[in-house]
Amino acid sequence: MDFVTMNILDSAMVSICREMGITLMKTSYSTIFNEALDFTCGLADMNGDMIAVADFCPAQIGGMPLLVQSCLKEIPISDIHEGDIILHNDPYRGGLHTPEHTFFKPIFVEGEIMGFAVAIGHIAEVGGMAPGGFCGEATEIFQEGVRIPPVKIVKRGEDNVEVWKLLLANVRTPRVNYGDLKALIAAVDLGEKQMQGIFAKYGKAKVKETVADLLLYSEKRMRAELEMIPDGIYSFDDYVESDGVESDKNHLIHVDVHKNGGSIVMDYHGTSPQAIGPINATLGVATSAAYNAVLHMTDPTIPRNSGCFRPIEVMAEPGSLLNVDFPAPSVGGNTETHPRIVGTILGAMSKALPDRVMAAEGGTHCNFVFGGVDADTKEYFACYDLEAVGWGGRSFADGNSAVDSINGNCRITPVEVYETRFPWLIESLALDTDSGGAGKHRGGLGYSKQMLCVNDVITCSQMTDRHLLAPWGLEGGKEGGCGATLVMKDGEDTWKTMREAYGKASTSRFNNVAIRRGDRVLLRMPGGGGYGDPAERDPDAVLSDLKDGYISKEAAKKYYGYKEA
Amino acid sequence: MRKIIGIDIGGTFTDFVTYDPATNQIENWKNLTTPAEPIKGVMQGLEKMETLADVDKARLGTTIATNALLTRRGANVAYVTTTGFRDIPFIQRGNRKAHYDITWIKTRPFVERANCFEIDGRITAKGDEWAPLDENAVRELAAKIKQDGTIEAVAICTLFSYVDPKHEFRIREILAEELPGMPLSISYDVLPKWKEYDRASTTIADAYLKPVVAENFRKMQAQFDELGLGKKVGVIKSNGGEATLASAADAPVQMALSGPTGAVVATRIMSELTGIKNLVVFDMGGTSTDCSTVVDGAEHVTTNFEIEWGIPIQIPMIDINTIGAGGGSIAWIDKGGMLRMGPQSASADPGPACYGRGGQDATVTDANVVLGRISPDNFLGGEMTLDSEASHAAVGRIAKDLGMEVDECAFAMVQIANNNMLGALRAVLLQRGLDPRDFTLVASGGAGPVHVCDLMDISGIPKGLVPNFPGQFSAFGFIMTDARVDRHRTVQQSSKFFDGERATQAMASLVTDAIKELHDQGYTDRIEIKRSIEARYLGQNHELELHFNGEEFNEATIATMWEDFHKEHKIRHGFAIPGETIETVNFKVVAVAVSEKPVMPDLEKTEGKLTAKSTRKVRFKDGWHEVSVFDRADLRQDDEIAGPALIEESASVTIVQPDHRIVVDRIGNLIISA
Repeated sequence: MDFVTMNILDSAMVSICREMGITLMKTSYSTIFNEALDFTCGLADMNGDMIAVADFCPAQIGGMPLLVQSCLKEIPISDIHEGDIILHNDPYRGGLHTPEHTFFKPIFVEGEIMGFAVAIGHIAEVGGMAPGGFCGEATEIFQEGVRIPPVKIVKRGEDNVEVWKLLLANVRTPRVNYGDLKALIAAVDLGEKQMQGIFAKYGKAKVKETVADLLLYSEKRMRAELEMIPDGIYSFDDYVESDGVESDKNHLIHVDVHKNGGSIVMDYHGTSPQAIGPINATLGVATSAAYNAVLHMTDPTIPRNSGCFRPIEVMAEPGSLLNVDFPAPSVGGNTETHPRIVGTILGAMSKALPDRVMAAEGGTHCNFVFGGVDADTKEYFACYDLEAVGWGGRSFADGNSAVDSINGNCRITPVEVYETRFPWLIESLALDTDSGGAGKHRGGLGYSKQMLCVNDVITCSQMTDRHLLAPWGLEGGKEGGCGATLVMKDGEDTWKTMREAYGKASTSRFNNVAIRRGDRVLLRMPGGGGYGDPAERDPDAVLSDLKDGYISKEAAKKYYGYKEA
Repeated sequence: MRKIIGIDIGGTFTDFVTYDPATNQIENWKNLTTPAEPIKGVMQGLEKMETLADVDKARLGTTIATNALLTRRGANVAYVTTTGFRDIPFIQRGNRKAHYDITWIKTRPFVERANCFEIDGRITAKGDEWAPLDENAVRELAAKIKQDGTIEAVAICTLFSYVDPKHEFRIREILAEELPGMPLSISYDVLPKWKEYDRASTTIADAYLKPVVAENFRKMQAQFDELGLGKKVGVIKSNGGEATLASAADAPVQMALSGPTGAVVATRIMSELTGIKNLVVFDMGGTSTDCSTVVDGAEHVTTNFEIEWGIPIQIPMIDINTIGAGGGSIAWIDKGGMLRMGPQSASADPGPACYGRGGQDATVTDANVVLGRISPDNFLGGEMTLDSEASHAAVGRIAKDLGMEVDECAFAMVQIANNNMLGALRAVLLQRGLDPRDFTLVASGGAGPVHVCDLMDISGIPKGLVPNFPGQFSAFGFIMTDARVDRHRTVQQSSKFFDGERATQAMASLVTDAIKELHDQGYTDRIEIKRSIEARYLGQNHELELHFNGEEFNEATIATMWEDFHKEHKIRHGFAIPGETIETVNFKVVAVAVSEKPVMPDLEKTEGKLTAKSTRKVRFKDGWHEVSVFDRADLRQDDEIAGPALIEESASVTIVQPDHRIVVDRIGNLIISA
């Protein structure tokens, strides 16, 4: 292997992916892109294997190889021409969920395709039964937005106008969608152009050979990491608490991790059958979650490409929660079920790798979506609002407070941007005292966002979790605080759940609730579980938590043996 | 005009450059820095001058503010904000530093949560007063702070104060009454722009710095007063402009990045002197490398800076991309058998193996010694002799593990280090949509000229420039600096309903404020104003900057502004959306009081043939060459040297690679072409 060229090519390709991401961030329209950064940019070889990726959204990173490969099954290479750009979002064709739109563009060098520039982005409004894409009560994929099989949105450098018309006619915010789609196109255009520069400099043969070596190198590093983990079968259970359709039913996620030498198998047999509601994961999501868990437990300096994934295998029964059959809904699989799978795997590995795991994190993205017509501008608005949670405690440190869940790395939208764009008045954004599970290493805190509706009506939907089943602790650590979604109608003075106020089946998943002027909504994000026996916590840490208000006096007495002087 | 002194207080050395217009001479020297007492090295260095009587101006670059932030030795700050939002500095933006790193610990703000306080009162996005300010609560808070006795400064940041600052103004007024002498910072003064976390973080940093910077600057002022230079001293702000010590102490966050700006100002002056419009400077030292651009004769100013990951400090500052790669970056072999360089650094102590101070690790500098590029006898102008054998031994250990020859391994180390630095060049060029082929690479810092040809080749930059005194380029920049004030404010309007009168007023008040700030500091002559607007397509969240020529927003200037936006978007991002609504976000004004500039002395013209002082063996891509070594002091205007060649001077050496050549320009710059 030519390690010097490999090192140089790897960092050059990762830089290209980062440049693609910066273009996307700077030119896109919806806050989910330009503030939250819910997208991923990468490069693929001829086989659809990912050869480089920049650090944006992890859920999409693991999904990329399958996405490109499924497209190539439908559109053979011989039908792809210079200047074409292919778009697709179908969860049943290797996709993750309907909002996730994948763009890829062939990289042509002297008339020959050498690979693909890929951008995956979360489009906030995708049509379907609820504004903002997350239909908490959907029972089939058709309610979850427009399904786009692999189609050419750009043909030989020209916009394919028919496709654009069809797409924009079926969403509520065509102007914003147009801007976001243009931004994704600009990103893959840039990726192609920069990669052409790399091919011109090093030559086709050298790049091809070096990239193959790079994938082998990552595979070798990953196997070496896995070999250091004691062999064995490790099992763990966790639950998704409701599907939005059937009340009071918990859905089991079970994993048996078979660790054997330099390879690892995630066996999901024993997991619940697929749900009626939209919490199902496609095999792409279940696979991506397995990759995500393994990357968290291994050396983060391994170059990230398909080579890392070769030692990882996934087994999931068709028709189960983690390998859903058409045409069941799946929008929550990618945001809610994914982190639950990662947490279950980390839980399973906690005995073997105590320093590479954490207790349960809040494990939800909140996914509060809303839309309506602005009373002042008369323009339709739609928003996908995601929020952060508490991390679990670790064997060596407390959990971080208010951090995006493990399968995303998105940013919270600033209050001043939020209120400028959407007709809400945010009344508070505050950490929740005692929401971090007690432990030798305390869980991170969740927080609450309280909002007052200042429009005639805003139609709201949500897809979140952990309202009822708290984030678990490890090694004697206590549970973290649960989340909640509450409403206080104008003129009333009590907070009610969506079940109490609107008769919804679930408190955490619902569709199309009409929030009116003067109504208040409170979104509470869960904290993280604690790690280790609280009695072993450093007394100074307890005092400092008390001073800063992270824990209450009552909790200090109850869990940490605090006595008032 | 009389003498000007530029002083750059660095971590290891304090650099001095003087210009004497009477003799048209530029001189330079170094003094060791005492990190605990930065003024000491300055005073010792000034003692080396015969007289200070003929000094007209002394300009200082200082790391006092940067270090206070980096080492977290600032004030115990109280944070005052709108009810419901005291956790904004702790919640931050919710993202994390890196994927897949379960060991990460979230960055703490510069304030304790117990010292964060809320006051009722609310302004909306449209500027309406939703709830009035609770003035009694402010007075109660003042009493509490007084009783507590540990608070050293107060940061005030209320929601939407950039739309209407009246609550912030009133809180400041009341606290000033109740807590006389307490340093107060309000977000409207520090950063009147939207996004509450960024604004809060910057305001907290300002308050955090106030006591420590004021204390240090007071001491400095006293020392300069004693030397009779009290009225002649200025400090360099992060925007590369000069300010008086007193005004800098009032807004200390403006000092967050001072020293490295000198090299960029110097690069801009080089642009004026040489007529080269687009330059990218690459200032490579022992532990880090700073990159920045000058485009069409102007520095790039940004407000997008974080002092630590997740802690934004969004003041106008020269956009410098710093990476932790320098001469001291250490070679290591990763678990997969790949050679890597850095980010660990041998720094100044113990330093690279060749320093002979006990360092065992092979560094970039050691590789350059093995390759014959750096002479062991000419380091820091011969003040320090390098241990070449130690370099060979250190690189040899890595080579053995890799199964490579020692020189081959050293060559690979330099290649990988160059590639790491290429990342910083890409960040300031390609990631901003700038084409490297339009640029000239300016190499400064002791190590810059060693790597300049390599970096030209791998980055696709066709020309290079090694200035005089590349090791003291920042201090050199300071003798050329102007007084400068940057004023920004969010003024949100859309192209659909653009109110030209309101815009004209907002811009005019920024201009008035900026000029007043210069006047208050005593800068009254030759003031130049530049206006610009940050705008975007409605819905986007990142802006493009457009120059606004003229004072008034009328039909014609507004139409030109929208046209310019579509054009700029096409250039920067590859597409435009004709007919789309455009939104203005921020108005910006730069006011500069132009100082008199030294006239750079011309070098004598060449006569006869230039002779090398010696030759030595140097390893390049195609193997070892016997290479001529020139003394930079021997070079004359128009001299030409074809590579391979080495040009040595007191604090650096320029490596002219095979297939490259240099020409000496009128003032002594080495102009490199391939």
